[in-house]
Amino acid sequence: MTTAPKLDANFIKTFAAAALETLRVQCSFEARVGKPFIKGQGEEVESAIAGIIGLTSNVFKGTIAIAFPEKTFLAIMGGMLGESFEVMTPDLEDGAAELMNIVFGCAKKSLSEKGFTVERAVPTVVKGKNVEIRHISTAPILIIPFESPAGGLQIEIVLE
Amino acid sequence: MFSKDTRILVVDDMRTMRIVIKKTLASLQFTNIVEADDGTTAWSELEKAMANQTQFHLIVSDWTMPKMTGLDLLKKVRTHAKLTNLPFLMVTAEADAAQVKEAIAAGVSGYITKPFSADTLKEKLAAMHERITKAG
Repeated sequence: MTTAPKLDANFIKTFAAAALETLRVQCSFEARVGKPFIKGQGEEVESAIAGIIGLTSNVFKGTIAIAFPEKTFLAIMGGMLGESFEVMTPDLEDGAAELMNIVFGCAKKSLSEKGFTVERAVPTVVKGKNVEIRHISTAPILIIPFESPAGGLQIEIVLE
Repeated sequence: MFSKDTRILVVDDMRTMRIVIKKTLASLQFTNIVEADDGTTAWSELEKAMANQTQFHLIVSDWTMPKMTGLDLLKKVRTHAKLTNLPFLMVTAEADAAQVKEAIAAGVSGYITKPFSADTLKEKLAAMHERITKAG
């Protein structure tokens, strides 16, 4: 069985806390963190849209993504923009990248305090039916699942 | 606090964040708002405003943008004779000490970190206005 390296355990905690903070403050959206797992060893959400950022640091490189089923994403955008959305529109799509941006910014502060200097690339958005995120590495993909009344979402982290 | 008719330039490459900032400003009764999606388009808006005698009274700008960053826009604003004192609130997802120092050195008037609530934006604007008023 594949186990996550120690570095990833720090990342799980840091990024989970950053995601909860971002959703709560920016989107008035309350979620709960589930039990993290390695991709292929747990139940994932069927993502319709994801925001992805490439990371580089003094000790690793990798990618991190936040992925949402359509229903969850629309509920989160509704909270962020103060209106309700029934369908996905192109105008909402950059919201996935912006949320990833904010989650990263939140996490970066904590990671800096732990001695990791992390820089990021410009975030991108992928969308589609049950979208598969292409990470730059073949290392195991860590999934941090979140639950909410509007449905699930997940963060994917790959580091090497 | 800034008066309700303050003409504000909101600069962010992410459309959803421009909407968030605009709506938050609207909830604080600010309605005279113009949007720009990058530092370069913001600069065009500033030049247009100077030509039309419809100056902006406040810039609220994201830091990380593709063509011209918020920091570069701030530096450009501070070196223009007519804009040098224009209040400039920097909005950023990253707030490490080095970045804050860099913004202060470039002459930023205020700094707000994402995620933020309407109350936080209101407090930052009020504090910024007070500092600017005291500085005369």
